[in-house]
Amino acid sequence: MTSEINDMIPDATAKELILAFADDELCVGQNHSWWIAVGPFLEEDLAFTSIAQDELGHARALYSLLSDDIDLVAYGRPHSQYRSAHIAELLCHDWPSALVRHVLHDLAEEIRWTAMLDSTWLELRTVATRALAEEQFHVHHAVSLVKRLLSTSEGHMRLASVLNELAPLGREYFAGSDVGLLASGVLDASLAEQERTWMKRVEDLLDEFELDIDWGVAIPSQGREGTRSKDFSALHDEMVAVLRIDPLASW
Amino acid sequence: MNTYEVFLKKAGKEPFSHAGSLDAPDDELAVAYARETYGRRSEGEQMWVVDRTALLVGDEINLAMADRDHKHNDGRLVAELRQFDR
Repeated sequence: MTSEINDMIPDATAKELILAFADDELCVGQNHSWWIAVGPFLEEDLAFTSIAQDELGHARALYSLLSDDIDLVAYGRPHSQYRSAHIAELLCHDWPSALVRHVLHDLAEEIRWTAMLDSTWLELRTVATRALAEEQFHVHHAVSLVKRLLSTSEGHMRLASVLNELAPLGREYFAGSDVGLLASGVLDASLAEQERTWMKRVEDLLDEFELDIDWGVAIPSQGREGTRSKDFSALHDEMVAVLRIDPLASW
Repeated sequence: MNTYEVFLKKAGKEPFSHAGSLDAPDDELAVAYARETYGRRSEGEQMWVVDRTALLVGDEINLAMADRDHKHNDGRLVAELRQFDR
C-alpha cells in the first residue's frame, strides 16, 4: 500500500456523496421499520424489519465517517440539509410500493457499495466491504419475492404499475456530483456508469415477466439539492419522536 | 405456502440441531427467511433448510419398547461392585 493511499483525505464532494448515501439509508431503514408487526405474514415481517435494522446500521456506519456526533447529523439537521433521494423518503404504506422500493433500493445499493470496495478512502472501503456482504441477503430476498409475485397474474397486475411509477424515480440514487472522485480513487465507477448498471439490472429482472420500464428523461435531482418531498416531514417526525421525549437517547 | 424445518450448526464439533420451522412460498424464499428468522444473530455457521414433505416420519412402532432396563444401563452397578472389591 502506498503512502499516497494512506494519506487520502476525502474532499467536500466525497463527503457530500457519503452524506447523500447515508440519508438514503436512514430514510429507507426508517420507512421499512413502519412494517414491524404489520408485514404480510410472519416470516416476511421478520425478514423485512431485520433488513430495516441493517439499513439503519449502514446509515450509522456512513455518518460515522463524517462526524463523531452521529445523532446530530442523522436527526439534528434542518430539512433542507438532508440529501436523500425522494424515492427513499416515500412512506410506502402499501405493500406493493414498499416491496418495489425495496428491490429498486437494494439493487442500487449493491452497485453503490461495489463502486467503493477498492476506495482509496480506507475507512469507507472497510464500511463498504462489510455492508456489501449484508447486501447480498437483501438483494436475494427482494429479488426472490418480486420474481415469485410477478410469476402470478395477481402479483403481476399489482406490481407492474408500481414498478413503472417508482423505477424512474430510482435514478435519483445516482444523482449528485462525482467530480474528481474517480481521479482520487474514492470511487471506481462514475455515478453515470452506476446508473446504467442499475437500469440494466432492473431491466434484466423484469424482462422475463415481459415488463418494460419507461425510464423517461432523467429529471434534475431535487433531493440532492436540498428540496424535500412531501413525505419527508412525517417521516422525520417519526425518526425524532424518541429523541424529543428523551434527548439523551442514543443508537 | 410450504412448511420448512430449519437446522443450524455452530462452529466446531457441535452437530446440526433443529432451530425451528417456517412457512415460505418457495425454496428460494425459505432460505432467505431461514436466515432472517433463525440465523441473523450468528446462531450458526451452517444451515440446512428442509421441505417438511421430504422428512421421513417414524411411526409409533419404530419407537415402541424403548423403555427396557437393559437399554438404560448407566454402569452404576458395575462401578459399585468394583468399589466393593477394592
